Amino acid sequence: MTDRIVEEMKPFFDPRAVAIIGATDKKGKVGNVIFENFKTNKERGIFKGNIYPVNPKLDEIEGYRVYKTVKELPDDTDLAVISIPAKFVPATMKDIAEKGIKAVIIITGGFGELGEEGKKLEREIYEVAKVNGIRVIGPNCVGVYVPDTGVDTVFLPEDKMDRPKSGPIAFVSQSGAFAAAMLDWAAMAEIGIGKMVSYGNKIDVDDADLMDYFLHDDEINVLTFYIEGVKDGRKFIESAKRITRVKPVIALKSGRTEYGAKAASSHTGSLAGQDTIYDAVFKQTGIIRAEDFEHMFDLAKAFAELKYKLPKGDRIGIITDGGGAGVMASDAVAKFGLRMAELSEETREFLKGRFPPHAVVGNPTDVVGDTDAERYRIALEGFVNDPNVDAIVVIVLFQVPLLEEEKVIDILAEYQRKSDKPIIAVAMGGRKTGRYARMLEEKGVPVYPTPERGVRAMAGLVRYAEYLRRKD
Amino acid sequence: MKEEALRVIESVLSQGRTAMVEYEAKQVLKAYGLPVPNEKLAKTLDEALKYAEEIGYPVALKLMSPQILHKSDAKVVLLNIKTPEELKEKWEEIHENARRYRPDAEILGVLVAPMLKPGREIIIGVTEDPQFGHALMFGLGGIFVEVLKDVTFRIIPITERDARKMITEIKSYPILAGARGEEPADIEAIVQLLLKVSQLVDELRDYIKEMDLNPVFVYNEGEGAVVVDARIILKKPEEKKQEISSEYRERCA
Repeated sequence: MTDRIVEEMKPFFDPRAVAIIGATDKKGKVGNVIFENFKTNKERGIFKGNIYPVNPKLDEIEGYRVYKTVKELPDDTDLAVISIPAKFVPATMKDIAEKGIKAVIIITGGFGELGEEGKKLEREIYEVAKVNGIRVIGPNCVGVYVPDTGVDTVFLPEDKMDRPKSGPIAFVSQSGAFAAAMLDWAAMAEIGIGKMVSYGNKIDVDDADLMDYFLHDDEINVLTFYIEGVKDGRKFIESAKRITRVKPVIALKSGRTEYGAKAASSHTGSLAGQDTIYDAVFKQTGIIRAEDFEHMFDLAKAFAELKYKLPKGDRIGIITDGGGAGVMASDAVAKFGLRMAELSEETREFLKGRFPPHAVVGNPTDVVGDTDAERYRIALEGFVNDPNVDAIVVIVLFQVPLLEEEKVIDILAEYQRKSDKPIIAVAMGGRKTGRYARMLEEKGVPVYPTPERGVRAMAGLVRYAEYLRRKD
Repeated sequence: MKEEALRVIESVLSQGRTAMVEYEAKQVLKAYGLPVPNEKLAKTLDEALKYAEEIGYPVALKLMSPQILHKSDAKVVLLNIKTPEELKEKWEEIHENARRYRPDAEILGVLVAPMLKPGREIIIGVTEDPQFGHALMFGLGGIFVEVLKDVTFRIIPITERDARKMITEIKSYPILAGARGEEPADIEAIVQLLLKVSQLVDELRDYIKEMDLNPVFVYNEGEGAVVVDARIILKKPEEKKQEISSEYRERCA
C-alpha cells in the first residue's frame, strides 16, 4: 500500500505532462490562469514537463498547440487539470479513463456543495475513477502548488497572490480560499511550503491519503492541515497514528457547531460537540491542534527547523535583554504547562564570573539594556552546558544601543548548530527588527514577535517530544 | 462476556425496544465485569419482600418501565426503606406514581437494591460520532458535568494510558486526587471502569448507540466503585450494520 500511494500521488506533484482541460486565452479565466502558471514556470525552467492545453474551440494559445479532445492528447500525459463546467466533467472523466491518465485535479465548483444534483455528478465521477484506478483531487478546489516542480493549479494570478518559497512544510486545506490566502501570507512571512494541496469536496483523495503519501515524502518533514470535516474517521485515525510517530502533524479545525445536542437522547450525547470529538481524535493520534492559523504556522516554523533536535524535557531557560519581556516569557512558560529551569550552581558561577555586576544571573538571565553580543554568547554557553536546561528561549530586543545585530545573529545561529538543545528567539519591534528576524531565521533560528508566541511554539515541541517518547 | 450481553440485548430488541431499562443495562455491564450493586428484579410484592430480606434492610426500590426513562421525574425511585411494612406501603406508592406519570406504562418489575454508601460521583458515557465512531466520555457527576461541562472524550477503543490521561486532565481532578485533606479516590477502579466500558462498546459496536453510567460512586483508594444507575440506547436493528465507507475499504484492500 505504501508504494502504491506514492506511485498514485506522484503525477500530482511531478507530472511528465499536464493536460489543462478548459485552457483558454481569455485573461482572468480560471483555465487561463492555470495555463499561464504552468507556462511561466516552464519558461523559468522550474516546470520540466510538457503542457497540453485542451479546448475544442481553439487551435493555439500563446504558441502552444491546443488539443481538441482528450483522446488526441499525447501518451505521456499523466495529469489532467479540469476547469470546465461541472455538467461536462463526467463525460470528460470517461475520456480520461480511456486515455489511461491516472491523476486528475478537478478545479471546477458546482458539485456536492450545491446539493443533490451536484452530488449525483460527484458520484458519477467517483464511479469512473474507482473502476479505472484514477485518483482525483477536488472538485471545487484550488488543487496543488509545488514550488520545486512548478506545478501550480492555483487559479489566482501571481500579480494578485504571491507564491511562497519552497520548504519542508506541507500545507493541506479543504478550503481553496483559505489555502490561497495562506500561501500569499506564507510568501510574505517567508515560510517555505514544499507542497500545498487543497482538496475541496474531496470525493477521492483526502487527509488520510495525503498523510500516507507525506509519510514517504523526503521533501516534507512537517504537515499542516486546515480541516473542516473528515469523511472516513477510522481511516483518518489509522493514517494519523502512523505518520505522527515519524513527522509532526499540526491541525487547525474549524466549525464548532454543536450538532450533538440536537440529536442525542443520552446525557453523553448532549455533551459531545463535534469539537470535543475532534479534540479526542487529535489527542489519541498525536496530532497537534492549533488554535488559529498563526499558531499553526508558528508551530510549523519551529518544527521545520527543530524537528531533529526536540527538547529532552520541559525545563525552559530564558535569556533576555529586557526585564519585562523576560517576565512575559516566564508567565507564558507557566501558562503553557512548561517549567522554568533551575540553573545549576556551576552555571551561576560561570555567568557571575563573566558578567558585569548589574546583569541578572538566574532564570530568566537578563543581560540588560547595555548589552553587547558577547554577553549573549556567555549566557548561551552557560545555558547549553547546564544539565538542568532542556530548551532555550532567547529574547533579543535589537533596539538596545550597544548590541551588534549581525554578531548576535551569528552567535545564536552558532549555538543552534553546535548544541543539541533547541533554541528559539523572540524579537519584538518594528520594521528594523523584522529585518533582523528574517536574517536570524535564514540561519536556522525560528523567531517570534512576542514572548507568548515563542514559548507557545516551544511548548509544541516539548509536547511532541513527549509523545514520541511514549511507548503505546 | 459478549454472549451473555448479546442475550440481554437481543431480548430487548425482540420486544421492539431500543432503550434498555436500568436493570437490563446493568446486566450488560455485569457481563463485562463492571461493578453493579447486588440488585434483584421483583415482579410481585412477595418477591420484593423476599429479595429485601436477602439483601438486608434498608433497601431502595426502582420501578422499571420502558416508558419511564427519567425515573426521578416520575418519582419511581424510593430510597431508604427500613422494614417489610414500609416496603409494602412503598410498593403501592411506587406503582401509583408510575400510573400517574404514564397511565400506559408497561411495568417490567421493581428493582430491589441495597442502599449504597455514598462516594464521589463520576459519570461515564458513550456516544456515537458519525465520522469517528463511538466515543467515551468521563467526568465528575453533579454540577461538574451539568453546569461546568467538565468532561473529556476519547475515541473507542482506548488504551490504559488514555484512561489515565482522561482522569487527570479534567479540571476537577483534584477532587478525585484528594483536595483539602480528603483521601484520594480509587483511581485504579476508574481506570478499570473506563477500559471495560471501552472493551464492551468495541465488541458490541454494532448494537450500542449511546450509554450513560450516571452516577458511578467511587470510594476511597482500594475500596472500588459501583455503577449506581445506567442507561443504554441500542441501535435500531436496521442501522446496526451501517459500515463506514465500504467503498474506501475495497479500494485500499
